Amino acid sequence: MQASSGMLTKFESKSSRAKGIAFHPKRPWILVSLHSSTIQLWDYRMGTLIDRFEEHDGPVRGVDFHKTQPLFVSGGDDYKIKVWSLQTRRCLFTLNGHLDYIRTVFFHHELPWIVSASDDQTIRIWNWQNRSLLCTMTGHNHYAMCAQFHPRDDLVVSASLDQSVRVWDISGLRKKHSAPTSMSFEDQVARANANQTDMFGNTDAVVKFVLEGHDRGVNWVAFHPTMPLIVSAGDDRLIKLWRMSETKAWEVDTCRGHFQNASGCLFHPHQDLILSAGEDKTIRVWDLNKRTAVNSFKRENDRFWVIAAHPEINLFAAGHDNGVMVFKLERERPASAIHQNMLFHITKEKLVKSYDFQKNVESPTLLSLKKLGSPWVPPRTLSYNPAERSVLVTSSADGGSYELISLPRDGSGAIEPTESKRGQGNSAIFVTRNRFAILNTANQTVDIKDLTNNTTRSFKPPVGTTDIYFGGTGNLLIITPTAVHLYDIQQKKTTAELTVAGVKYVVWSNDNLYAALLSKHNVTIVTKSLEQVSTLHETIRIKSAAWDDAGVLLYSTLNHIKYTLLNGDNGIVRTLDQTVYLVRVKGRSVYCLDRAAKPKVLVIDPTEYRFKLALVKRNYEEMLHIIQNSSLVGQSIISYLQKKGYPEIALQFVQDPTTRFELAIECGNLEVAVEMAKQLDRPKLWTRLSAEALAHGNHGIVEMAYQKLKQFDKLSFLYLTTGDHTKLTRMTKIAEHRGDFTARFQNALYLGEVEDRIQMFKEIDLYPLAYLTAKSHGLEEECQSILEATGLTEDQLTLPQLGEPLVLPKAIVPTYKANWPTKTTSVSFFEKALLGQVEGLSSEDEPAAAANGFGLEDAGEDDAAAKRNGALIDVDEDEDAAGWDLGEDIVPEVEEGFVNVQSADAGGAGISEAELWARNSPLAVDHVAGGSFETAMQLLNRQVGAVNFAPLKPRFLEVYQASKTYLPASAGLPPLINYIRRNIDESDPRKVLPIIPRDLEYLASNDLQRGYDSMKANKLEDGLKVFKGILHAVLINAVGSDSEVTEAKKLITSASEYAIAMAIELSRRKLGAPDAVNKNPQLLKRSLELSAYFTIPKIEVPHRQLALLNAMNLAMRSKNYNSALSFANRILANGGASKILESARKTKTQCERNPHDTIEIEFDQFAEFEVCAASHTPIYSGTSYEECAFDGSKYHTKYKGTVCVVCEVCEVGKHGSGLKLFA
Amino acid sequence: MDPYSAEGELINIHNHFHQGQYQDVVDFDISALSSENALPARVLQLRARLALGQADGVLAEVQSENEPELEAIAALAEQALGNQEAAVKAIEQLAQESGDNATVQVVGGIVLQAAGKSDEALALLSQHSGNLDAVSLIVQIHLQQNRNDLAIKEVAAARRWAQDNLLVNLAESWVGLRLGGEKYQQAFYVFEELAQAPATSSVRSLVSQAVAELHLGRTEEAQAALDEAFKKEPTFAEAIANLLVLSVVNGNYSKELTSNLEKVDAQHPFLVDLAEKSELFDKAATKYKAKVAA
Repeated sequence: MQASSGMLTKFESKSSRAKGIAFHPKRPWILVSLHSSTIQLWDYRMGTLIDRFEEHDGPVRGVDFHKTQPLFVSGGDDYKIKVWSLQTRRCLFTLNGHLDYIRTVFFHHELPWIVSASDDQTIRIWNWQNRSLLCTMTGHNHYAMCAQFHPRDDLVVSASLDQSVRVWDISGLRKKHSAPTSMSFEDQVARANANQTDMFGNTDAVVKFVLEGHDRGVNWVAFHPTMPLIVSAGDDRLIKLWRMSETKAWEVDTCRGHFQNASGCLFHPHQDLILSAGEDKTIRVWDLNKRTAVNSFKRENDRFWVIAAHPEINLFAAGHDNGVMVFKLERERPASAIHQNMLFHITKEKLVKSYDFQKNVESPTLLSLKKLGSPWVPPRTLSYNPAERSVLVTSSADGGSYELISLPRDGSGAIEPTESKRGQGNSAIFVTRNRFAILNTANQTVDIKDLTNNTTRSFKPPVGTTDIYFGGTGNLLIITPTAVHLYDIQQKKTTAELTVAGVKYVVWSNDNLYAALLSKHNVTIVTKSLEQVSTLHETIRIKSAAWDDAGVLLYSTLNHIKYTLLNGDNGIVRTLDQTVYLVRVKGRSVYCLDRAAKPKVLVIDPTEYRFKLALVKRNYEEMLHIIQNSSLVGQSIISYLQKKGYPEIALQFVQDPTTRFELAIECGNLEVAVEMAKQLDRPKLWTRLSAEALAHGNHGIVEMAYQKLKQFDKLSFLYLTTGDHTKLTRMTKIAEHRGDFTARFQNALYLGEVEDRIQMFKEIDLYPLAYLTAKSHGLEEECQSILEATGLTEDQLTLPQLGEPLVLPKAIVPTYKANWPTKTTSVSFFEKALLGQVEGLSSEDEPAAAANGFGLEDAGEDDAAAKRNGALIDVDEDEDAAGWDLGEDIVPEVEEGFVNVQSADAGGAGISEAELWARNSPLAVDHVAGGSFETAMQLLNRQVGAVNFAPLKPRFLEVYQASKTYLPASAGLPPLINYIRRNIDESDPRKVLPIIPRDLEYLASNDLQRGYDSMKANKLEDGLKVFKGILHAVLINAVGSDSEVTEAKKLITSASEYAIAMAIELSRRKLGAPDAVNKNPQLLKRSLELSAYFTIPKIEVPHRQLALLNAMNLAMRSKNYNSALSFANRILANGGASKILESARKTKTQCERNPHDTIEIEFDQFAEFEVCAASHTPIYSGTSYEECAFDGSKYHTKYKGTVCVVCEVCEVGKHGSGLKLFA
Repeated sequence: MDPYSAEGELINIHNHFHQGQYQDVVDFDISALSSENALPARVLQLRARLALGQADGVLAEVQSENEPELEAIAALAEQALGNQEAAVKAIEQLAQESGDNATVQVVGGIVLQAAGKSDEALALLSQHSGNLDAVSLIVQIHLQQNRNDLAIKEVAAARRWAQDNLLVNLAESWVGLRLGGEKYQQAFYVFEELAQAPATSSVRSLVSQAVAELHLGRTEEAQAALDEAFKKEPTFAEAIANLLVLSVVNGNYSKELTSNLEKVDAQHPFLVDLAEKSELFDKAATKYKAKVAA
């Protein structure tokens, strides 16, 4: 009997005495029936009470979940069996019949049956579908305490206080209640004869065996899940094991140890163990094969009444006086260690294996640890020493022990360790190449030992130390329940301390700069000097963690993999079906060990955290790359960006105009804000825009916003401050027309037009004011006329003291001509990049490019600002023309002009589907089909560096022409235009996409074949055209899947190779007529070279043969036997048409006689090279070259910046984001 | 009683007109019609003759008349002859004086819309009281303005009171072709039914059928329907235009068809649009050039 080690309790509830327990087969639920008449439904994972069922009177002793249906059954001291629905949480019906307390109830695993045991000495089988009693089994002559179905056979086992265990055969019952056709008359007769009826004439269930051996009443009995074994627990404090065969049953052995009544027992579902619980407050674990005690767990005050096992998972539950506990017998976390690309772990069978992350293969067994510790206790930790290739394994058996074992070089099966050093200790880890540390919790010492297991030094760790971990070279991380200490082994003292409660595991980052401290519900990230970086809390238990190479921590909870950045931002990466222990993260793969200690690889999408990380690190290239290459959109990322203060980046993702407007305002991007405001046209937005634009000093936009809002006063004032007299004058006219005298007065005041003011006062009969105005400005004539008009004389008036006439405020500088110095709005790197302004983003040296990018930003600032201003002035003028620049004679219509402008904006036409295409798709072809040629060109320019678009015109127009149909509708009106889609089943306007003529399939089966034909027919000019046409058609195209993208790429490469090959041969032919060439040695040399280069492009073999034949014959003719020989050899190596082979063979024999070249040419048959598409000269491997981003044709570096001669569209050496054919 | 309803006298001539069987409309015997239906029938005949391209004759016939209906027809004829301004002016005048006249609304709507004055056309047409001709025109104008939402509403409203009327079916099919998805097939059924029954078949419905097939991705069937249309009338511009589109979709573009279309209708939207885009392309392409000239 071993000392009880700590129990792995997962859940505990407090209640009155728990009498019955049942695990839900799938969900983390447990039913508990209580002595107080309540049945509780708990979620043991979350620790929450889901529901309570209170319909029984008095104690409820038995409960069971149905295996598949949402049902459970309960039986109580009210003699009632109740069947409940889990869905409605109601009692469906009650089965009455028992005449005394019901002890247990169980569902049958497949038939709609329930078996119940009762104090009325009977065991009954019920059908819960037709709610009837099927059978009453009598025979026990005291309370029947427990009855269970056999998991497969037609058997029932029962236990009774009459000291017996009985096994009943219920096959008769099954036959009687299954389909009658299955039994012939003969069978019935046979059965009637064969079956002994019992004394009551009952043939449905007959006693098969009566097992006697207990000296007192038997409380519980259970079948083994697979073997013909029975275990029983009795008031004689014994656990008895029974075996049965077809014909008999006998007692095998007895497990002694309980010192009070044993109340429950069961077989471990997966291991050769027996568990029992008793009123002596213990749960005991026994070895099934040796019947020896393996472990025991004792509670201080609570007697155990019932024990149950989860059918699938390694979980058990026991009911006691004050509630229920759910527990595990052993840790399921496989011990493991990582070194570089190797994972070392210990399997369930206690075998040490390794796993190679790069090759994704598991090694054979390296070592067997069968003999380590107790057979039932798995090793707890593993520490690996790469220098010595040895492992330190700890086990909690024997109060904690460790073992130091060398690993063999290569494993080849179960190898027992030849030599091992062991000792007592709870934790053991390597601290240097030749030292390891052992923690002994009982006497609270840490020993540093050498590899011969001799203690070299020893010290007392901080009080209450529970665990030690590697703490960086020469350091230990010492874990206490409330804090973590960084301990310097040399100095023997704590160098840093951090208060973190309940740390259980420590995971170091790959660069050993950071460590994650995992507690049950918290992750704390610290630096290597134990400074806290961040901490986060999870409601669900945290199981494990691993660091990404980029410094992102991925951690697993019971049901999720999540990530956290160093700044504490976190989120979910994926969900988990079952608990796993992460060991390593590499790119999109997460390596982990499952509970069976099998290495697994989970695929994750790291986009989200990579993006956030890039954001934190301000790694804009990476962000740009992510934006362009993944579908990272959605509300969450937008609000994240906004929250984190990156509205300008969020702006790149948003389509919704309202959100765009908000973001644009936030990041001061007025252009976008104006655009969106125009689109939405709501007064509120214009108001905000005007305020923002004013803050920026961009009065052009302010003016537009005021115009939209019809804020005349503000407009007037704006014109005054900007000194725009002409417009101010116009404002006066508008005010006049509107009949708004206050505004008119104000404007006149601004303009300093006294006469106008006087005139206005007169118009509205304010003669005194008119007079006063005239008087104060010294307009005596006017005064007189006013007096005349009113029939008054000057004497009759009393005038106040007149001050100086108003001096007209004047703007010193006519700032209206251009914007005020505007607030600098930095054009973010993104905006530039997305506008295609930053070049060479993906070129070899990214940092340099980045520097360039930023340089551009600074230098371009003024420029950009100037441009913006320019643009705004344009807007200004346009606006003028639309609403303001009205001649004198049509002034009365000004008002309508306003209204018209507005109504046209508000109502108006909708958006055609063609425009939607461009919005729906990032593919150039969809923009072309939608007629948005500019954006299509922009896209192509950005993707593949397209600069020369003229050759693409036919393709542009072809795609465009195919996009619409003309439906004749009402007579006299033009036809209705509709838009042809390639996704014809789609009707969501956000997803529709245009049809693409000559798609990939068509090109491959038509154009490509035509190209091949012209190659065969030696019509190279035609062929060249065809292949270039293919290139153009693929460039403006779309495909339906990623695999098709690969195909398209192949087609591009193939077409490009053919185009180059043909161009080489054509340029050879252009050298001149054969005679002329032969006479000129210069030309002849070039001719031979070109014919040789013609054989280089990777064209189809039969076509290459033609090129080789051509080269061979030319070489022959010029007596270049060595070259000819090499061509002949190549022809022969390729095989194929016999005629060519024949000719090659002949040449070969001829050449072999004299393998020398007469004319020295630049063609080394043994060198690897490619042909420069422009100059048709070799580019030897190793020399630097440039290529066309679209078709991949290679060029000498001097051609960088020219238009590619193959596709005739892209700029050589300009790298873009890559052609996009599939969104 | 509504003269266009199933029991009305005008049902046949009206249907012929909207099925595009203009010759049948012209040949229709209207002498036996009751007096109140005589004028609407004559209007239909005149409109049919206009559709057949006999604008001169029509104009001569109605020039001296002064019923608003016939004045509207005169304006329509003017427009067909290219006198856009005069036509619009006349209609604007008529709209002022007798905007409640159904014929003025419909014909005026056509003239205004054709002149690009969609809002005015809609304003005039919206005065109608239960006139399906006006409804179908409104639907068409909404579609032309890409206001599919309004078009759907209009059709749904008409469907409620006019149920299975030819014009409602047609208008619904027009909308269907714009919306797509399952609606393509429904639109196809309507056009096919019209095009394939000898009594209702016309070159317009055949072309419509072909368009629906084209949208459904059934290029061979579309080709067949267009061939049939060509047999009926080889110079129908829409047939040529759609055949052009079809051949491009199939990957065998032919210059001949374009020149055919140019001959038949040099101002066809297809050609106008194409020329515009070609220019746009040239303009846009000039923004880019290689860093180094070859």
